Formats: sequence, structure tokens, C-alpha cells
Amino acid sequence: MSERSKAVVARKVSKHYGEGNTYVRALGETDFELLSGEVIALLGPSGSGKSTLLTILGLINEPDGGDLEIGGQVVIRDGEFVGNTNRVRRRELGFVFQRSNLIPFLTAEENVRLVLELDGVGQRIARQRSREMLETLGVGDRGAHYPVELSGGQQQRVAIARALIHEPALVLADEPTASLDKERGRQVMELFRSAARERGAGVLVVTHDHRSLDLVDRTLEIEDGFLIAEGIAQKPQGGSGE
Amino acid sequence: MNLALRDIRHDLSRFTLTAVGLGLLLTVVLAMTGIYNGIIVDATALPASLQADLWVVQRDTRGPFAELSRLPADLEDRALAVPGVARARSYVAHTIQRELPDGRPLRFTAVGLAWPVDKGESIPLIEGRPLDQAHYEVIVDESLGLQLGERIRLARDMYTVVGVTKGILASAGDAVAFFTRADAQSIQYDQSSEAIRLDREARTQRIRESWLGNDPEFVRFAETATGLIPAIAPAPVSAVMINVAPGASIEMVKQRLATWKDISVYSQEDQNELILGGIVEKTRKQIGLFRALLVVISTILMSLIIYTMTVDKLHSIALLKLLGAKQTVILGMILQEALLLGAIAYTIAIVVGRYAFERFPRRVILENEHLIMLALLVLAISSIASAIGMKKALAADPNEVLAG
Ligand SMILES: Nc1ncnc2c1ncn2[C@@H]1O[C@H](COP(=O)(O)OP(=O)(O)OP(=O)(O)O)[C@@H](O)[C@H]1O
Ligand SMILES: [Mg+2]
Repeated sequence: MSERSKAVVARKVSKHYGEGNTYVRALGETDFELLSGEVIALLGPSGSGKSTLLTILGLINEPDGGDLEIGGQVVIRDGEFVGNTNRVRRRELGFVFQRSNLIPFLTAEENVRLVLELDGVGQRIARQRSREMLETLGVGDRGAHYPVELSGGQQQRVAIARALIHEPALVLADEPTASLDKERGRQVMELFRSAARERGAGVLVVTHDHRSLDLVDRTLEIEDGFLIAEGIAQKPQGGSGE
Repeated sequence: MNLALRDIRHDLSRFTLTAVGLGLLLTVVLAMTGIYNGIIVDATALPASLQADLWVVQRDTRGPFAELSRLPADLEDRALAVPGVARARSYVAHTIQRELPDGRPLRFTAVGLAWPVDKGESIPLIEGRPLDQAHYEVIVDESLGLQLGERIRLARDMYTVVGVTKGILASAGDAVAFFTRADAQSIQYDQSSEAIRLDREARTQRIRESWLGNDPEFVRFAETATGLIPAIAPAPVSAVMINVAPGASIEMVKQRLATWKDISVYSQEDQNELILGGIVEKTRKQIGLFRALLVVISTILMSLIIYTMTVDKLHSIALLKLLGAKQTVILGMILQEALLLGAIAYTIAIVVGRYAFERFPRRVILENEHLIMLALLVLAISSIASAIGMKKALAADPNEVLAG
């Protein structure tokens, strides 16, 4: 088996908020790696720094220090963005959040297509690929609807379609299943899993939901800004035990 | 994919309503401009229609359109004797308000033409012809509502409308009616027999009480018909209009006349400047103030609208940043929406204006340059408004998306 490429390599990234009385160390010096095709679940109590790590990996916030590579490109060096951050966002990153993922004035199909068009893909090809992607995710018949006309689960699928359409190196998801029932939550996790397998994306999912952990490759736990435990995902009782 | 159009489409009714409101505001701006232009043209239409090279008026007065000016009636003849003067015409005008038989008020400024030298050939007519006989014919402005050929009773005589003008108004905005001078004066001095009798009694009484009353001849004269009075003291005229002979210099004639101690002389341009400077100045300032105010209001309103539209989209803008949209895509969306709003409002203003302005009681005159000026103004307003929206958009934080 050939060495798998690395979707993310983070070295000594750290982050604090505020000064003096309001000083909060949100993330201690953290090393982190995610392979292409791998799905990792990030677990931890509220306020432990899960979202903070995600925003650094997603180039939303600059860390205090440290280096970051995404899909083999250096994007943060010594705590500073380097290179064309916007282009990395357009090409290498896909986001899914708990809710309000979609642009309300665009239809489902346009929301997905937008990602391609922002990166210069022609309208005809973009349209066709978006339709196919929505089809794959089981919302092919909802393309012309606005987000408010979709159920929570349908919205999440459209958001996932948007996160995957451009075949990014890294997909970041912050509690994507929190607003969904168990069945839908598992479906979403399965979508991430197959995206990782079929498209080679590295997927990092923040979740409080222990019910779908059998679908991930690894779990990471974080507490007070430090990754404290790493484990192979436990199989649920009565699982197939492959 | 054009984000601006899609955002507008998503809330089309709000956008439409906003554009219509803004459009009507711009219509008012346009109306103000047009009314102002109309006032200028109206104010100078009457002197322009008489086509005089020089205006001779009472010394140190500002001419018949600005204030009362009285000149002896024989000044016409004196002026004619000046070398280079081809034509001298007296100008008399007075405002008259009568009632038509059906009770409608008929208010106009009667201008007396120096028949037979001036039959009104220089007056721009939209219908009919200049005066053709020394009496009982009149050229009226269409705003009086009289038809060609219509007969009206003024003083004791019937007058026939033989010509119709458009937009020839006196300084107070009253329509102008052109008569021969004799007719104009007889209309002016028309009084009821009772008024004539009272006038005669008062005059006789005045003379009896003065030292003239010692002479019975004077008393007897005072008691005779009022109609004789003008023979002794002919009615003064307001001004004398001079036309210079072909080849003669207007400036030279003006300098010659200026040596006379009882008059002032103005060229047609001087006259226009006096009219605009005096009467129109206040109106101009007032309309200018309104216009400036409306522009400020439009700018504030549009900025507020664009600002609100941007704030409503902040979550989407944050999301766009997250998706790696170039800054030009985000700013372009805001600018395009502002420009589109401006363009639609502008179009509404032009279209509404085209239909509404001709129904205005005052003349609204708009040239292409004024429409271009408004377009530039709208462009400026849209840019200011979008700058305010863009500032807000640039400050949008992608973290907002995570906060949900
Ligand atoms: N913008 C901010 N300003 C100040 N402090 C912040 C900010 N964002 C996060 N923090 C603090 O940093 C710490 C880590 O926050 P973070 O959002 O990463 O936690 P989390 O693990 O995602 O929690 P949750 O499960 O509740 O979403 C918390 O103590 C939080 O209060
Ligand atoms: Mg969080």
C-alpha cells in the first residue's frame, strides 16, 4: 500500500482570545495530521476549543503561531497566512456547519454551483456537475428550491454537496448532525465517509453525537485546548466487528 | 452567476417598491430643475417675442418687467430722430382681471403694440396671424384658454382672437394678450359710468379747493368729459423699444441715447439679466435649495437602503468570504445592486416625468443636458450609497457563519 498523502499537517498551532482579565487560551500548541480519505471525529466538552481548531484549519482565523499545510501547500507559517488564502479556500476547503449553511437568496442548485463558478468553472459544466452531485446526495429533485423551502436534513445534504463539489483536500464540519434526528445524522456521517473514500478528501467532523462514531476512522478528544486522547473509533455494541 | 440579480429576484417586491419610491423622489428633483428652466424661459419670453435691440426706460429704473417705469409718450418720436434708429415702439402693459360671461375669471397682462409700426409680426404664434386692423383684434396666450376666432367683451367693445401664442407670460405668470396700443389703453381706462361720474366730481372738487378754482374756466374744464384728459396729459408709456437700422451699431445708438438725462437704456441682454437677477433670483434660490435638499434626502435614503440590504446579507457575505469569493465579487454585488436601483429609479423618474410634467400648471422645460446631469447625480448617489454598504461588507467576519 502506497503512502497516503496528507490532507492536513498542523504544527504547534495555538490560539488565545482577549487580553488581561478576558484572556482565554482557546487552543494550546497543537500538532495534528489528517490523511486523505480519512474521517476523524473531534470530541470534547463545550468550550474545549473544537471550533477554534476548525477555524484555524479552515483559514477563518489566524493562529498565534505555528505552521499549517493543506493538500501539500503551506498556508500558514509562524502564525501568518501565506500565499493566496482565498484560492486555497475556493479549491482545497469545504465547510459544513450545524445550520445556516446556505445562501438564502440562491436556490439549492445555485448554492452548489456557486463554489465552482467562484473558481471560474463555466456555467454549463458547473450546472451539470451540481445536478449530479445533488442527485448523488438524494436531493436531485430539490435543485430549484430555496433553502427555506427545504427540510433541515435536505439543507444539510445541499451543504454537503457544496462542500464536496469541488473535490477539496479538506472537509471541515462543525456539528453537522446536531439539528438532525439519529437516522439523518447517520446518513450525513455516511456521506462524509463515502466522500472520503471515493474522492480522497480528509474529513474532520466536530460532533457531540456518539451514535455515529462507528462510521469514522479515528476519534480525537480535546479538553481545555489540548488534544488529550486519540483512538481508533470504537465499534458500537453488536457491530459487525470487521 | 450574477449574485446581485439573484438577490434582487429573491425579494423582488421590496426592491421594486424601493425603486419606485426613489424614482418618484428623483421625479421631484427633475421637476424642480424643469420648473426652474421654465421660469427662466417664461420670464424672458415676452421681451424676446418683441425683438427689440434696445429698451429705453425711465431714468434709473430697471425696466418695465422689473418695476414701474414711466416715460412721456412722445419719447417714441424723439428716439426716432436719433441717427441709426430704424424703429421706435412704445411699450405699455398692465394686468387686467375680468370675468367671462360664464363667470370664469379672465386674468391677463395686456401689452399694447405700436400699431401700425408693430403688428406683432415678431411674436411666435402657434395658430392664427398677427394683428390686421387698428382695433378689436387680440393675440392671446393659449394658457388663457381662449380659442382662435373666439370673441370676448372687454370695456365696451368686442375683441376677436386672431392669434395664439404658447408660453408668453408676464413676470407674475399671467398670460399675455397683445392689443394695439390704443385698444390696450382704452381697456385700461375703461370705467363704469358711475365711476366716471364720481371721478369727475372728485376732480371738480379738488380744483375748486385749489387756487385754480378761482378761475371758472378751469372748473368748467374739470367738469367736461374725462375722455379729453389724455389730450392734455397723454398716458405715459412704460418703455420705448428701439430697433437699430441694418448696418448701424447697437452700441453706438445706445451710447447716443444714454446722453439723455431722463432715461436709461438697456440692451436685450441687459434686460434679460435684470429680469433674471431681480424677479427670478429668489425663485432660483428657493428652488435650488429644494433641489439640494432633495438630493441630500435621496442620498441618505439610498445609502440607508443599500446599507440595510447589505446588513440583511451579512451572513451570506460572511459565507461568501468563507467560500473564498474574491473581494471584487462581494463588492461588485453591492455596487451592482446600488447602480441597478439608481438606474431603475432614474428610468422611472424620466418616464413619470414625461407624462406628468405636461400637466403641470407651470412650464417644465428639460433639455438633454439636464437628463444627463440627473444621470450623473444618480451615479454619484449610487456610488456613495454603495460605498457605505461596501464598508459594512468588508467588515463582515466569516466567524459569523459559525455563530449561526
Ligand atoms: N471570539 C472569541 N472571543 C473570545 N473568546 C472566545 C472566542 N471564541 C471562542 N472563545 C473561547 O475559546 C474557548 C474555546 O471555544 P470554542 O468555540 O473553540 O469551543 P468549542 O469546543 O467549539 O465549544 P462548543 O462545543 O460549545 O461549540 C472557549 O472558552 C470560548 O469561550
Ligand atoms: Mg463550537
